[in-house]
Amino acid sequence: MSEAATTRRWAVLRRETGRALGAAIIALAVAFLIILFSSKTPLQAFATLTTAPITKVRTVGLWIDDVAKLTVAGLAYSLVFQARQFALGVQGQVYVGALAASYIALSPLGQTWCAIPLGIVCAMAGGALWGFLPGIAKARLGANEIVSSLMLNYVAIELANYLIRVDLTTPNSRLLSTAPFPSTAVFPALIPNTRIDIGLIFALTSVVAVWFALYRTSWGLKLRLVGHNSRFAQYAGIKEAFIIVSAMAASGALGGLLGAMFVEGRSFGKLAVSFEGNLAFEGLLIAIVARNRPLAVPVAALFYGYLRQGAQLMSIRTDVPSEIIVIVTAVIILLVASSYSVKPRAMLAAITRSSRPARTHVEAVK
Amino acid sequence: MTTENMAPLLQAIGISKTYPGGVVANDNVNIAVNAGEVHAVVGENGAGKSTLMKILFGVEQADSGELRLVGEQVRFGSPRAAINAGIGMVFQHFSLVPSFSAYENIVLGSEPRSGIRFDRRKAIEEVRALSARFRLHVDPLQPVRQLPVGQQQRVEILKALYRGGRILILDEPTAVLTPQEVTELFSAIRALVAQGRTVIFIAHKLPEVLEISSRITVMRGGKTIGEIETKDATEQKLANMMVGREVTLRVERKPYNGKVTLAVNRLSLMNELRATVCDDVSLTVRSGEIVGLAGVAGNGQAELIEAIAGLRSVAGGDIAIGGESILPLGVRARRGKGMASIPEDRISQGLALGASVAENLVATRLDDRLFARGGLLDLGEMRANAERLIERFSIRIDGPNALAATLSGGNMQKVVVARELSEQPRLLLVSQPTRGVDLGSTQFIWRILTETRNAGAAVLLSSADLSELLALSDRLMVFYRGRIVAAFRNSDELTTEMLGACMLGLSRQSPEEMRAALA
Repeated sequence: MSEAATTRRWAVLRRETGRALGAAIIALAVAFLIILFSSKTPLQAFATLTTAPITKVRTVGLWIDDVAKLTVAGLAYSLVFQARQFALGVQGQVYVGALAASYIALSPLGQTWCAIPLGIVCAMAGGALWGFLPGIAKARLGANEIVSSLMLNYVAIELANYLIRVDLTTPNSRLLSTAPFPSTAVFPALIPNTRIDIGLIFALTSVVAVWFALYRTSWGLKLRLVGHNSRFAQYAGIKEAFIIVSAMAASGALGGLLGAMFVEGRSFGKLAVSFEGNLAFEGLLIAIVARNRPLAVPVAALFYGYLRQGAQLMSIRTDVPSEIIVIVTAVIILLVASSYSVKPRAMLAAITRSSRPARTHVEAVK
Repeated sequence: MTTENMAPLLQAIGISKTYPGGVVANDNVNIAVNAGEVHAVVGENGAGKSTLMKILFGVEQADSGELRLVGEQVRFGSPRAAINAGIGMVFQHFSLVPSFSAYENIVLGSEPRSGIRFDRRKAIEEVRALSARFRLHVDPLQPVRQLPVGQQQRVEILKALYRGGRILILDEPTAVLTPQEVTELFSAIRALVAQGRTVIFIAHKLPEVLEISSRITVMRGGKTIGEIETKDATEQKLANMMVGREVTLRVERKPYNGKVTLAVNRLSLMNELRATVCDDVSLTVRSGEIVGLAGVAGNGQAELIEAIAGLRSVAGGDIAIGGESILPLGVRARRGKGMASIPEDRISQGLALGASVAENLVATRLDDRLFARGGLLDLGEMRANAERLIERFSIRIDGPNALAATLSGGNMQKVVVARELSEQPRLLLVSQPTRGVDLGSTQFIWRILTETRNAGAAVLLSSADLSELLALSDRLMVFYRGRIVAAFRNSDELTTEMLGACMLGLSRQSPEEMRAALA
């Protein structure tokens, strides 16, 4: 009996993978067309976009480093989206986490072995606070989480800008960044001479942790039930407000972790203005493509990180600006998200119906 | 006028429809509607009336069978096609824009224009003329959200007429109306027929059917049982055709004499607009009895159940379980006191459709050490629990991991019932337990409710189906405008007519009569 359920699960997996791949191929085709019209050397540009990341060990390192970060960002969004809370505060949490980690790294403690663990803990706590605020505002005051989380992003970004300029730079420095962190406060590399560092391990651990929390704990089941049907959750006696607030705080902790991965990672090793290059927001795309499934998040991140890295290399090496990736992203989001909001029942109805009108059409043609 | 040598205006022949999930909603159904008649379609919940109407209106497509309009075969791929063919339908749930005025709603989508401009003056004139002609009085300029339900329904009917509807399908139009509004609706229907329109009228309430219709098609279990001229029909005859047996089903009940489990004392409730919906309501439910709440929808019985379940705040009075007030307690704590609840709407409230059946079956017991220890789920126990309940409540399903969304209505309801009754409750709240549920599941659910009662639960049952209330209840309370206006001890002498008269506010009980059955 349950074999049927298992086969159906595989069918869903195949369908979702097919949809994501289809979206990617169409998006690449659109990108190719645009490159064709905008570049003097379109073939070279397109070849760079699609192959450059795997040509050198160094570029593979850039790619995998992005994948680790995109994964954590994608997980942070997935967690709140599964509770159907459209909190978009990961970017702000990244800045708060980065600030917390930087203060630890630049303090006397930064010279000691505890710089990294303490930095990460403080970053996660800061991020969690930044996620908790819109959560409690929603639960207590009914504030819309989209608006409050977005506004808190700006607060965090400007706070970081201010502190970098005023408090964290070396005196008389005109740089828009802090001094490099002591080596005790920078992640050790996993593969020498690349940017691949222990951030990758944190990312993979996060995948397992989020999956476990969502599918193996009663908190996760409650969270998903709230997401599926909040009226049902209330009726069943689940404390919805607690679930919402805790989900947003947990997601914030992941955002904070990502902040620490940025500033303590080998790519930076310091805190700079606008360091995250919009990556935190791109986690949204990862979550959408992965349909908020934690185990699908790294797969989506691998793929998207590749395109992202390809686009950056393309803009360096050819005359096509890296903004092309924005178009690719937009096309993917449009294609994937067009079916994203469909409710399971409606989807089921659509699937079962799709076979029948086809037949009627044939009859009509006859 | 005879129609013998004329083809019926609208005819359905051999219609079959199976929903995904395997529910056979229509099985070789036939109906023939003649021009200028009021054709009633009657049947119990789940008899397939609504599905048939949706097929006639192009919302659903039949798996097999054909539709004929004045003898010619037609196919309605969408409501638009049916509207173009002159068919209009008024659903139970209206599809109106609340902030738009009545006339805007009526002409929406087919607005009169002068040039490219929406000719409002012409629209208002046309709507006025239409409503005068068919005696469907509405103020065209009033925003729809300010209109009472009866007038909103008129707006819906006018909308269909405005689009040139020759055949009007009314899906249970009287369910939401007050008796006064029903009278007005009927006079409008007569005006429609007098002017050459044809009305298909779906109903539960037999007296209404006998009053307004000229012919009646009876459905049962997805099949058409027969067609009968109204002048040859009696209520008893129709009831027998609908139910398919001579006597109404009464479940075997043990006598009861339990202690008072639920005590509602002088309870007042308000709705979101701060209007009183329950006023000074007192009742008790003893262990081992079923107390039925009768009333036309919207008279306060649903709100009473929500308040007891902990989903609605209380304006005054008290609710106690076992002598102890539960007002300070949340839903979880009330469930901890032995309360279980089968909600009115399984899809919007009773289930998480995107979650698996196993997950749905434990949703109310996630703090139970059986399923979650130290915050970790015991997936094995959840699965075993699901398998046990699937077996015990004979839920037809692929396996515990199937999504709730993939089940048919009857099986969804069984999942809700299975979860709530997986442990013997002390107090069971039940709303519309068999709405939209097939007959087999209905009987099964009735039996389960009776067993739960016999095992000592206090059961408070609210249902729009009077035969259900009469079959299950030990005592009955009738709600009218937020108050209990009558109370009965159930007996063979008690009829749906007696209940109906009280539900419509037509007959009242003396305080002594009421007190005798209240305690």
